[in-house]
Amino acid sequence: MIVRCVLFVLAATVGLTTDAFAQGFRPTRPVELVVHTGPGGGSDLLARALALMAEREKLLPVRVVVVNKPGGNSAVAAAYLAEKRGEPNTVGLFTGVWLQTPLVSAEARVTLKDLTPVARLVLEPAVIAVKADAPFKTLQEFIDAAKRSPGALKQSGGSNTSRDNVVRLLLQKSTGTRWAFISFPGGGERIAALIGGHVDIMVIEPEEAGEHIRAGNMRVLAQISERRLPGFPNVPTLREAGFDVPVVPQVRGMVAPPGIPRANVEYWEDFCRRLTRSPSWQKYIADNQFEDGYQNAADLAKFYDEFTGRMRDILKDAGVKTVR
Amino acid sequence: MDIVAGLLQGFSVALAPSNLLWCFVGVFLGTVVGVLPGLGPPATIAMLLPLTFSMNPAGAIIMLAGIYYGAKYGGSTTSILMNVPGESASVVTCIDGYQMARKGRAGAALGIAAIASFVAGTVGVLGLMLVAPPLAKFALSFSSPEYFALMSLGLALVVLLAGRSIVKALLAALLGLWIASIGTDPFSTTSRFTFGRLELLSGIDFVVVAIGVFALGEVLANMEAREDATLLETPKGLRNLLPTWQDLKDCRFAFANGSIVGFLVGTLPGGGSTIASFLSYGLEKAVSRRKDEFGTGVIEGVAAPEGANNSETGGALVPLLTLGIPGSGTTAILLAALVLWGFKPGPLFIPEHPDLFWGLVASMYIGNVMLLVLNLPLVPLFAQVLRLPVYMLYPLILGVSMVGVYTASGSLFDLGLLMVFGLLGYVMRKLDYPAAPLILGLALGAGMERALRQSLMMSQGSLSILVSRPISAVMLSLALLVLLIPLFGKLNAWRLRALES
Repeated sequence: MIVRCVLFVLAATVGLTTDAFAQGFRPTRPVELVVHTGPGGGSDLLARALALMAEREKLLPVRVVVVNKPGGNSAVAAAYLAEKRGEPNTVGLFTGVWLQTPLVSAEARVTLKDLTPVARLVLEPAVIAVKADAPFKTLQEFIDAAKRSPGALKQSGGSNTSRDNVVRLLLQKSTGTRWAFISFPGGGERIAALIGGHVDIMVIEPEEAGEHIRAGNMRVLAQISERRLPGFPNVPTLREAGFDVPVVPQVRGMVAPPGIPRANVEYWEDFCRRLTRSPSWQKYIADNQFEDGYQNAADLAKFYDEFTGRMRDILKDAGVKTVR
Repeated sequence: MDIVAGLLQGFSVALAPSNLLWCFVGVFLGTVVGVLPGLGPPATIAMLLPLTFSMNPAGAIIMLAGIYYGAKYGGSTTSILMNVPGESASVVTCIDGYQMARKGRAGAALGIAAIASFVAGTVGVLGLMLVAPPLAKFALSFSSPEYFALMSLGLALVVLLAGRSIVKALLAALLGLWIASIGTDPFSTTSRFTFGRLELLSGIDFVVVAIGVFALGEVLANMEAREDATLLETPKGLRNLLPTWQDLKDCRFAFANGSIVGFLVGTLPGGGSTIASFLSYGLEKAVSRRKDEFGTGVIEGVAAPEGANNSETGGALVPLLTLGIPGSGTTAILLAALVLWGFKPGPLFIPEHPDLFWGLVASMYIGNVMLLVLNLPLVPLFAQVLRLPVYMLYPLILGVSMVGVYTASGSLFDLGLLMVFGLLGYVMRKLDYPAAPLILGLALGAGMERALRQSLMMSQGSLSILVSRPISAVMLSLALLVLLIPLFGKLNAWRLRALES
């Protein structure tokens, strides 16, 4: 213990005096992992699972502490990271919200580009589901019904910048149809609205849909992914169903404060790569029916430009005011 | 009998020594986080989640559920003693609970809170055990129009919560509704009243306002008095501290009301314990023979909402376990925990894992008994707080409030807001505006707006959707009735006066 303390002090002094320390960067204090949700939110749970996996697979020399900075639809957490400029022992988990909020909200000044994007970790596919006793057997039948009575069919989903709505906007545009989108803040309420028969269709995560399908409450019409998911071998992807719309990914990844040395970025990139190759992570991905979405910092930056560019166009098309 | 067999199986799980221990750990932790304002069950459960991976799932769910319902027992403590609501569900408890404490009846208030929690908590478990599947179907028939009607009914209770002036109560409620509208519009994602502050993008936390207006407002108003009197002596001896037989008799209806209202509202995925506690308080006041005394320290005014927020936990587990649909923050974490342990919560969870379900149900009966035994002896201990002289008590309240707000959000901005709302509470007190309608407006505002706009999206803009659906029509008529009753009273008094002259 004493030896470790001495080493720690030594390392810290060296770190303060020379840049050479950055070459072989290792975190020296417990790592702060910042998430934008409160305890129990999607990112929070992923962060806690990640902390556990890092420990179990011995991927980090120190412990991971989850720090919740909820508020502002991710703007508070992004601003917190921006304030931590140059801080080597802090990283954050971003999701699609971090990309979309700065597009529509003037107060959210920190984009992912103002921070240091490290790596993409996960892609979350989704499926399009209807109630089991709905008259639509295929997505085409639903679209036909929407054509017959424009605006009468209803979809439940998250906010108007959520993936649910973006998929709807893309489908509406490519088919020239129109149906209503009703926002529910909680995922539970969205599902309750569908199986209670108050709305007609929804975009849902495969894992959530699985149990409702098995119980005979829900039916899946199409899946929003490039390839068919292992859990849904008989359901067509959007393209296979005849709808040539871009697959909108739901992403999660790691981001660091701005102004950290290249060596630190490489360290975290490498951590993410080793993490996504570990058996615990593979099991986690499979259990949740996520897709492995590892991308390094350079690819992530490219992905970011593409994604926000496309998103801005889609939102503008739909009449949503974008500010950036 | 399926239920008897299930329950026997459940007790065989719950009575295993290790599970009994986890149950105790859960309810004990729950009591502690309930007493501490700020640290709520969601944060506690999330922090403990990694520990549960190495546990047996039955023990783990028993412990986490224990934290959930245990916190509801402790939540009333600071409400009653300091006017500091420990969590959103115990805001209503402040209204009469704190007044009881001012009258030297803190012990009775704390005692009745524990007893009402026990009675209603047990009824909630009974409900979960007996009627879960059919009730879940009923809950699904609720959608946005019904939620709007339910919340309108809640807001109509403003009239019942009103002090002397209905106009002032309505103004306070409007202010609450306005505060609720601050933040990001959930539909168009535009920001409203954020003044360029990103801290305001996600709105103002209900608990910050409640603690500010209730607790800080009270401290400020009392500091003005500048007298060095101590608060009323608390009676000595356990017997004098606990509720009397008369108290229990007075609360007979409150127990039933809290149990049933809490459980039913709990089963609705868009319900929540705050609405449950307000509704049961309003109902209690509406049927009470001593309506006018509510707000001055009536024991039913503590028993009904405290009962409601406990039986709400049983209700909230209904959609979670029968459909895999979480209604609140805490049940969302329980759902995530089940997933992380490798279960697939959903419609088939109970038939496929009867041991877990029945073990949980049985443990909740045991846990509620443990909580009663744990909490009643704490009553005299907590009641001692009021023996402090005011120059110590008020700074203590101030400190507890600030620590509570800071632990909940970790944001200095929220501490600033707390001060602002403390001043607001003080001003409202000076001008004789009641605080409860403001809090109710704030609690219901966001949900009501959302439900109304969702309903209108469903009906393509036609308001008829609110009255063409039977459940919502009935509740809206009730709300109208509640609003009209005081008017009839006024009209009648007016007519009598006219006749006399």
